Amino acid sequence: MSENRGRMVLISVDGLRVRFSDRWALDGLSFCVAGGEVVGLLGPNGAGKTTTLSVLATLQRADAGVVIVAGHDTASATARVRRLLGFVPQSLSVYPTLTAWENVLFFARLYGLRGAAVHNAAARVLAVVGLEERRHEIVSTFSGGMQRRLNLACGLLHTPRVLLLDEPTVGVDPQSRERIFLAVRAQAEAGAAVVYSTHYMEEAERLCDRVVLIDHGQVVAAGTPAELVSALGRGLRLDVTTHADLPAGWHEGIAGVSPLVQRSSAGGPGSGKRVQVMVDDLTVAPRALERAAALAGEVLEFHIHQPDLQDVFLKLTGHELRD
Amino acid sequence: MRTLLVIVRKDLRLLWRDRAGLVFLTLAPIMVITVAGFSLANLYGTDPTGQTAYEFPVVDEDGGSLARQIRDRLETDRAVRLVLVPNREEAQRLVRDRKRAGTALVIPRGSEAALADGRPASLLIYTDSVKYLERLNVRLRLLELRDALANEHRAEASSQVEEQRQRLHSELDQLQSALGSARARLDAAWVEAERTRDHAAAKLRHDIARAQQQAQEQIGRELAAFAEDVRRELDRQLSEMRTPLRSYVEALNARRADFEIWLAELKRLAGGRASDIPSPPFFPEFPDGLVRLLQEDAPLRLPSPDRLRLSLPVAPRFELPPLPAPPSFDIPEIALPPPPKVPGSLAIEEVSLGGPSIINTFDQNVPGFSVTFLLLGMLLGVSLGLLDERDWGTFERVRAMPIAVANVLGGKLLSRFLVGMVQMVTLLVVGWLAFDVSLGPQPWALLLPIAGIVFAGTGFGLIVAAVAPTREAVLPLGSIVIVTMAAVGGCWWPIDLEPRWMRTVALAFPTTWAMDAFNDLMIRRRTVAVALRPAAVMFAYGTLYLLTGLLLFQRRLRRRP
Repeated sequence: MSENRGRMVLISVDGLRVRFSDRWALDGLSFCVAGGEVVGLLGPNGAGKTTTLSVLATLQRADAGVVIVAGHDTASATARVRRLLGFVPQSLSVYPTLTAWENVLFFARLYGLRGAAVHNAAARVLAVVGLEERRHEIVSTFSGGMQRRLNLACGLLHTPRVLLLDEPTVGVDPQSRERIFLAVRAQAEAGAAVVYSTHYMEEAERLCDRVVLIDHGQVVAAGTPAELVSALGRGLRLDVTTHADLPAGWHEGIAGVSPLVQRSSAGGPGSGKRVQVMVDDLTVAPRALERAAALAGEVLEFHIHQPDLQDVFLKLTGHELRD
Repeated sequence: MRTLLVIVRKDLRLLWRDRAGLVFLTLAPIMVITVAGFSLANLYGTDPTGQTAYEFPVVDEDGGSLARQIRDRLETDRAVRLVLVPNREEAQRLVRDRKRAGTALVIPRGSEAALADGRPASLLIYTDSVKYLERLNVRLRLLELRDALANEHRAEASSQVEEQRQRLHSELDQLQSALGSARARLDAAWVEAERTRDHAAAKLRHDIARAQQQAQEQIGRELAAFAEDVRRELDRQLSEMRTPLRSYVEALNARRADFEIWLAELKRLAGGRASDIPSPPFFPEFPDGLVRLLQEDAPLRLPSPDRLRLSLPVAPRFELPPLPAPPSFDIPEIALPPPPKVPGSLAIEEVSLGGPSIINTFDQNVPGFSVTFLLLGMLLGVSLGLLDERDWGTFERVRAMPIAVANVLGGKLLSRFLVGMVQMVTLLVVGWLAFDVSLGPQPWALLLPIAGIVFAGTGFGLIVAAVAPTREAVLPLGSIVIVTMAAVGGCWWPIDLEPRWMRTVALAFPTTWAMDAFNDLMIRRRTVAVALRPAAVMFAYGTLYLLTGLLLFQRRLRRRP
């Protein structure tokens, strides 16, 4: 196994291709994850995040490429790979009519734990996700966040070396999100390689050591969040919402303004048209706004903020993460 | 109104997109109607194609014209399909073992001869009690056939009797005429007889009187002659006695004189003592008549015989007994008996080849509907269970665990198998307790078909789970198949109601084999041996379903986006 930044690479994806009927869901995807590292798969819906995790979890066969997990090829050493994996699917993969305790006991036994180890592991993971006091309650009575935490707990029972999480915080409350973050970080700190799929840019920036931006089954960019954002250069992002469409090249001739995306998008029902540009600094913004107002009749709204992964993605793909 | 139309359009569009719902609205009822219509084809009679005709083995042991008539009529009856078999054993085999027929007919040897002799005869039918309706229908056909034959024979006999009656009536008229004539002749003869009798009686009386007179005269003559003979004899005898008697009288008178002398001498000699001498006995004087008789020579004066009147006893007056009354020749009016009714003496004797002749309807319904709900349970348990696991994501999680998919499915199917076993056993026990359902001579043998159908149902559930894309698709898809399998397989009604082609198709369903085994064990009261083959078939179907389901499931997993 190779090393990445001094850590042992536990996941290596090279040229991964997966075809669904007439389209390539993954088209030459490559990345790696080292032990103790949380790598975020960031991309819009349909980018290929879940498919990537499915291949990693041995649920999906690759049409091309090589996927190595802890030194084992997922295509040929499926059983060995599965023993090392902790997989937390996007859906709530727990039994809603069982209690939390019954759920974790069941999955612990399926992971091969026996005897006291079953109960110890069950108690441990429920404590990690903060459900030990509710363990004897029926899961369907849990809130969405609690169910998500239980979903995560069921993937931690056998202390996996590789943890795959597919959008584990969809629809959860802030408290549960924090619990999940803590648990994931704890796993990484314990040496696990964590692949965290999300389309929440904020989660990736906060939780992930590195981020792999995916779009249309391909890696758009990869690196730490800071590295990716810095690639945009200096400046601020200016979001302008106007009453009418701005013509193409509306900002040309204004010094310090560069295009972020070539098209405009609706700002929302009754809220006008929105365009985004990069400005070198705050002093440039008024000129851009004046031009916009002159061309579109009225500026309904504008925002200026520091660039983030969203802007990186937008810059690289021409569309937003949440498209 | 516009809003209403908008909502209507939207709901119709939703329904159009809901293919499963559309199937449930249209295809499912059409399927049920089709299956029920074909299955119950025999309920209301026969179809013109003969598809619903019952196979009807017939053994003709008699070989006579009666048997020929029965066979001819059965061959033209669309309700049955006549199959001539050589012997009773073959007929029993077709009913009991091969179950091709619910009823078989035996026309016993000597039936026609017995009927011809006026003795009762019986047709023998072998029946399968499970095929109750077929049994009733065929029996009804036979009874109708028998009645029709009896009516024909009765009409023929009535015609003959009427002809005989007419002939007899004519002969009786002739007899009555002859008797009337005879009576007249007899009456005349009787009058002549009375007259002849009276004449004979008068003549007889006259002859008797004349004979009496002649006898009287002859007696008189004879008496006179006899009296003359007597007188002459008396005179002769008197003449002969007068001489000695006269001598004697003279001697006696002499002695009397001597005595007087002697006495006087005595008294003289006694002297004084003469007084002491007692008087000597007195000599009686001779009666005058004797003296006269001795003195006269006149004959005896005899009475004249003319005084002797002998009269013959009067001949008793006789009366000839009257002639007895002439015999009555009154001929009673002879009432001719009505034409005798030809008795329907051709009986139908039924022999059940297994099980009671009267069946508890729950013996059919309890296993039938138990199997139906078992399949529904399997559909919900296996198919929806797997789809639940898929929807919940638990199946995906488990697949990513270090266990084989076969183990995952196997565990799930095994649990449903056990649930199905418990469900079936429970329903049969409830049927036994609540509805007095028969569990047969070996209740434990029911575990064989139960296990078979539960196993097949489990495999079927896997197929539906693999084929149905969503939970919503399970119900229409599964219910159509289950309704078809249950209805065609004889779970809701006896399979014998179905046309022949449908019964053949039904062999492709495990429900058919399950009901066959249940009927054998519960109704026909047979032992475990009969359940072995159906159970083996069901396990074979179950294995096929399982393999197919696994293949489809794996294919689906591979194609999963």
